[in-house]
Amino acid sequence: MTKQFDFKGASQMPMISVSFGHMDWNKTGAWRAQRPFYEDKTPPCSAACPVGNDIVAFIQKITEEDFEGAWNLIKQENPFPGVCGRVCFHPCESKCNRGDYDEPIAIHGLERFVSDFAASLSLKIRGTPGVGRGKIAVIGSGPAGMSCAYHLAKLHYNVTVFESFSSAGGMLRTGIPSYRLPKGVLDREISNIEGLGVEIRTGIPFGEDLDLDGLKNYQATFIATGAHQCRGLHIPGEKGRSVFSGLDLLKKINLSKKINLGDKVAVIGGGNTAIDVARSVIRLGKKATILYRRSKEEMPAFREEIAEAIEEGVMIRYLVNPIHIQQKDGLRRLDCLRMELGDKDESGRRRPVPIPNSNFFMEADSVIIAAGEEAEVSFLPKGMENRQGIVLTQRDGGTSIKGIFAGGDLTSSQRTVAHAIGSGKKAALAIDCYLSGRDSEEAIRQILIGEGPSLSIFRYVHPEERRMNPHVVTFNELNTDYFEPSERCRESKGAVKKRIKGFGEVTSGYAGSSALEEAERCFSCGTCNRCENCYVFCPDASIIKAEGVFSRQVDYDFCKGCGICFSECPRGAISLEEETR
Amino acid sequence: MKKVITGNQAVAYGVILSRVDVISAYPITPQTTIVEELSELTASGRLKTVFLKVESEHSAMAALIGASTGGVRCFTATSSHGLAYMHEMLHWASGARLPIVLVNVNRAIAPPWNIWSDQSDSLSQRDTGWVQLYCEHNQEVLDTVVQAYRVAESVKLPVMVVLDAYVLSHTSEAVEIPTMEQVDAFLPPYCPEYPIDTQEPAAFSTIATPDHFLEFRYKIQQAMEQVPGVAKKVDDDFRSRFGRGYSAIERYGKGEAEILLMTSGTVTGTSRIVVEKLIEKGYDVAGIKIKRFRPFPIEEIYKEMKGAKKLAIIDRNLSAGVGGIFAQELRASLYSREERPQIFGFVSGLGGRDITPELIEEAVRYTVDHPRPEEEILWLGLKR
Repeated sequence: MTKQFDFKGASQMPMISVSFGHMDWNKTGAWRAQRPFYEDKTPPCSAACPVGNDIVAFIQKITEEDFEGAWNLIKQENPFPGVCGRVCFHPCESKCNRGDYDEPIAIHGLERFVSDFAASLSLKIRGTPGVGRGKIAVIGSGPAGMSCAYHLAKLHYNVTVFESFSSAGGMLRTGIPSYRLPKGVLDREISNIEGLGVEIRTGIPFGEDLDLDGLKNYQATFIATGAHQCRGLHIPGEKGRSVFSGLDLLKKINLSKKINLGDKVAVIGGGNTAIDVARSVIRLGKKATILYRRSKEEMPAFREEIAEAIEEGVMIRYLVNPIHIQQKDGLRRLDCLRMELGDKDESGRRRPVPIPNSNFFMEADSVIIAAGEEAEVSFLPKGMENRQGIVLTQRDGGTSIKGIFAGGDLTSSQRTVAHAIGSGKKAALAIDCYLSGRDSEEAIRQILIGEGPSLSIFRYVHPEERRMNPHVVTFNELNTDYFEPSERCRESKGAVKKRIKGFGEVTSGYAGSSALEEAERCFSCGTCNRCENCYVFCPDASIIKAEGVFSRQVDYDFCKGCGICFSECPRGAISLEEETR
Repeated sequence: MKKVITGNQAVAYGVILSRVDVISAYPITPQTTIVEELSELTASGRLKTVFLKVESEHSAMAALIGASTGGVRCFTATSSHGLAYMHEMLHWASGARLPIVLVNVNRAIAPPWNIWSDQSDSLSQRDTGWVQLYCEHNQEVLDTVVQAYRVAESVKLPVMVVLDAYVLSHTSEAVEIPTMEQVDAFLPPYCPEYPIDTQEPAAFSTIATPDHFLEFRYKIQQAMEQVPGVAKKVDDDFRSRFGRGYSAIERYGKGEAEILLMTSGTVTGTSRIVVEKLIEKGYDVAGIKIKRFRPFPIEEIYKEMKGAKKLAIIDRNLSAGVGGIFAQELRASLYSREERPQIFGFVSGLGGRDITPELIEEAVRYTVDHPRPEEEILWLGLKR
């Protein structure tokens, strides 16, 4: 509010109502009491993205038909758009405000479209290879390790990645079937990272051929060896013949190794690995039955993949728990108990409780156990603390050993590709802070997307650009009068008959027209997309079309602060503040 | 130098001689020839002013409010609907204390359509805080424009100079045109009290809460109360330089009379002859010309009223439901006085009908013949 004057009487007052001081700060005098200004706010998709993708920005580029621009934006944060567009569990879409209106934007499909577009033009990531800011070792070439290597290379470090396996990619290569993630996609994205000067040395298992002493020449090390060990069921017979771990089986299939499974395969577990295993088994021409001890509601595997598995002929038996694997004439006989659901456990899901005397037998030629994964920590250096197989790290990924950072499945129970990529990125900037003597906690705080934990490394490198208020735009803050209901564009899937014959990719990406249509559905929450509503509605003609930080600016010489631009902005990209002086 | 010119040309001469910086106007009959003259002079480069073309009278006044705030001398002219359209901005000009001079050529307000003389347009604006000066002849028009700037700039109030449609606006008379040097000596350049400084920009006409608004209006009233004294001084100076002048009211005919005939505008010219004739015939009558309507010159009138028993006032305007506006002002301002003669309020000549010597004589005779008026409104020349 403007300062109030209190005159004793007319004789003390000026002849006219005129400001005493200069009014450069508000040329409308007392007319404008509140000031609108353009201020990008955080969209819920980016805030939910563990990778920290600038989703609204790249979707805007798609609407402008600048697909290469979209790719340039994605790769600022994520070297794996082809991977993520296919296998990420897309929490961005669960938080999409459009979900409260009709259906969320198919962000994964758009990301995949952009990466496929880049691949079709053989676009390479350009960057200056390491110019000697220091040598960094990365242990493990999975999504965490490669993401860390990628961002370090972009920060001009010389990075060497050590991989125990014969080829790079970690769980992306060995744990995900190629009908979900074709090897060519992974190869291309890894080779893009190598193009930045990252050296990948395969066949070097950490803890055996390499230890911390061997890394003395490196100024920092990032360990992301993953969680490759299958959690056992702790039942008799699980070490027997023709009993495999799910991850082992997937690895063998991914390496096209011959496996003798017999005809009937039982898969124990309810997670994504169980589904991947069962669907792979179907593709090998076998029958697959999943045994899961809870009901469909509690199943941790993604809904869509469960549906696809059932389409393809996978049988799922719920509320069944094997308690003994017996060998009988080359057949495996599973002694099972029927279960019912009890009270909720610490995971929030209802606990399976055995029904007494409900034993029954099931026969199978082989049994695959996919009841979760654990990290192997026995080879880790001494002094690196862990709790229940999860390496303890600080917020920035630093371990209890100075200069050693860790990330990915090794350090978290949230074992997703996106979380791994995000942790690698965070470690890259933590290492940069560590080597340049900066406070990584503070650096992270500055670049959080919304309240975090996602962060933007673009903003780390360019602190003044694409600034964003951390406030996450809610559905109620949008003016949905300007949006028409529209259906989400579906990606097409191969016919079931055809797809169970091999490991070809099930889902086809968008054609350009569908991508454009889907991208145009985006509300662009919190980010001006030059829709010009403000320009059209402003009664004072005070919205200036200008190039600059904001695509629009307010002409404060004339703006009376009515707030119409603020209320008519469909996406909450304009803020209002009180004029104070 | 004397020239035979119309009233509208006399206005234009007054503007030229006053060295007006900014003119903004929108044409309307019967004002048009004023701005035609000025715009042509400006376009030819002979008149060094800025002439702003606008799309309406409202904008014309708004533009001048901006220019006048900027500290320069401003002029506009209009009539009838144009003045009505300006109404909001007229309040603004006085509230912001801007010494703008406006010439209004009196014209009736439609419907029915009528382009002839009638004071309803200017008198409808009596509450806008403008000084109003009514002219009798073309010489007075020119001189009043020049004087108006000096009064306006002294008291910081806008001034409206009013002349009758056609009878003055389009009728030629011999007019003495002063020289530029003479007027320059009489009228100093405008010096604003709150000049705009682009280095230290200020906010003008900002909000005033109920704590202060009343006091700002009181200051306008104070300025209005200064007008009689200031205007007299200005006119005295004018008289000493040019040998002619115009007071707020002017008495003619007998020095003391039982009946006073009061008029404004061009009716006064006719009345002078009627009064002279009636005195010859033995009537106890004198005339009063009212030049200044705002602030209403009650002190001056009261002085001239001594001994009069009846006041006959002819209004070329009508406030429907009440009567003639000059008569109303007179009644209202005399109410608290000791001497309150009978007031005969005649309404005549609306929409440009001639107020002939016969009608004026009829008014005087009626006043003589009646101890008091039979009606509040005495219609003169009405065809019932």
